[in-house]
Amino acid sequence: MAHAIKFHPGMSLLEQHAEGTLSADVALAVAAHIDLCPHCQQLSRDITADLACQLAQQPVKTNSTDWQQMLNDIMAQPQLSKQAAAGQSQLSAQHAEPIIVNQREFVLPRALQRLAANHGKWLHLGGIATAKLPAGNDYHVSLLYISKDTEVPQHTHLGLEMTLVLAGKIVDENGEYKAGDLLINSPDDTHTPRTMADEDCLCLSVLSAPLKFKKGLTRLLNPLQQFFY
Amino acid sequence: MLKSINVPRHDRVPSPIPDTQASMTRQEITNNNWEEALTFVALQRDRSAYAELFNYFAPRLKAFGMKMFGNEQQALEMVQDTMLNVWKKAALFDASRGCASTWIFTIARNVRFDMLRKKQSRKDDVSADDLWLNGEYPEQEADNDASQWDTQLLMDKLAPHFTSLPPAQREVMEKVYLQEKSHQEVSDELAIPLGTVKSRIRLALDRLREALDGARN
Repeated sequence: MAHAIKFHPGMSLLEQHAEGTLSADVALAVAAHIDLCPHCQQLSRDITADLACQLAQQPVKTNSTDWQQMLNDIMAQPQLSKQAAAGQSQLSAQHAEPIIVNQREFVLPRALQRLAANHGKWLHLGGIATAKLPAGNDYHVSLLYISKDTEVPQHTHLGLEMTLVLAGKIVDENGEYKAGDLLINSPDDTHTPRTMADEDCLCLSVLSAPLKFKKGLTRLLNPLQQFFY
Repeated sequence: MLKSINVPRHDRVPSPIPDTQASMTRQEITNNNWEEALTFVALQRDRSAYAELFNYFAPRLKAFGMKMFGNEQQALEMVQDTMLNVWKKAALFDASRGCASTWIFTIARNVRFDMLRKKQSRKDDVSADDLWLNGEYPEQEADNDASQWDTQLLMDKLAPHFTSLPPAQREVMEKVYLQEKSHQEVSDELAIPLGTVKSRIRLALDRLREALDGARN
């Protein structure tokens, strides 16, 4: 990554991610950020080692569980060779198919590749296109493509909005975001994201509720809010 | 989950330090080299090494499962599935990449995550394999952040934030920075792996940096 990533998930998000207690869709955005961010990779490794150490060190009472039976059941099973075990454990992330939108090709972070292979149809509106990913019910997870020199009308959030920039650049009132940057907007945060004249942008968008458009005529978009959701 | 995202950053109720005073626990960890045991399981199908690992980790995984699921049946299902994976996939454990306890913890976390998803019968959905890389990210150039911070740490303005560190990290930081012990000495004293000492220092430094910079997000 040629530039430094500036917007990271906070420590408590990273901790909950390592622990496995985040909602799956929020975790997906955090995981994709980690794939792109060496700094958070190191933090995650450290947090995981720390949690594991706490687990291993906790004192436990002897209890009535019949461990012997479980132990025997397990050891009655055959062990796997290294190849067999490796084959079982992770999908081959190597040959990732790029996704194509607006005649542009994008290779996604590892965390998104499997789900993105089954993305929904691209829906276009002005310079903006979205495609849903088959993720959970609690949040709406989609890819969001914004052409060069395009403004997403000013909107506010009825819920939580997480936007991870996957490629290109986007700016809003608060700053400039590039690949790997993770923006988190809480309910009631209002912003007007836009792309610059020279660069389009692909994002992962995780929303817990529809957007609400604020200004003048764009309020007419509110019936279309499902488009962004 | 939504709520937890919006909370301020340093408000977590510190979890109590695991009772490191329990002399049994200390003794066991000092005397047992789980990395070696796991390697024996992988190379020689060593049943007694596996039984030792099992007897140590199964009850602790159960306690973790009870905390996560809140019921014994699922907790035990998680233990069985985790320890079965440890047995079957021992060949994948690589001691050069980290502690045995870290490897076992990540298996348990992934098993638990996938159990929850399956329960909600969403197969075409986020899985543990999507969320956690099974293996290592490519090596990055070491950054000097930590060493830069070593010296700055002595500055007075950090002192008030010291007390807000989680107890386990504070304990390590105090030994290293206030009592000027080496990482190895701290590792021996607390009976925790050297890697964990280093991890806790990095985490604590990052927290202190956050406390000074304000939230990163």
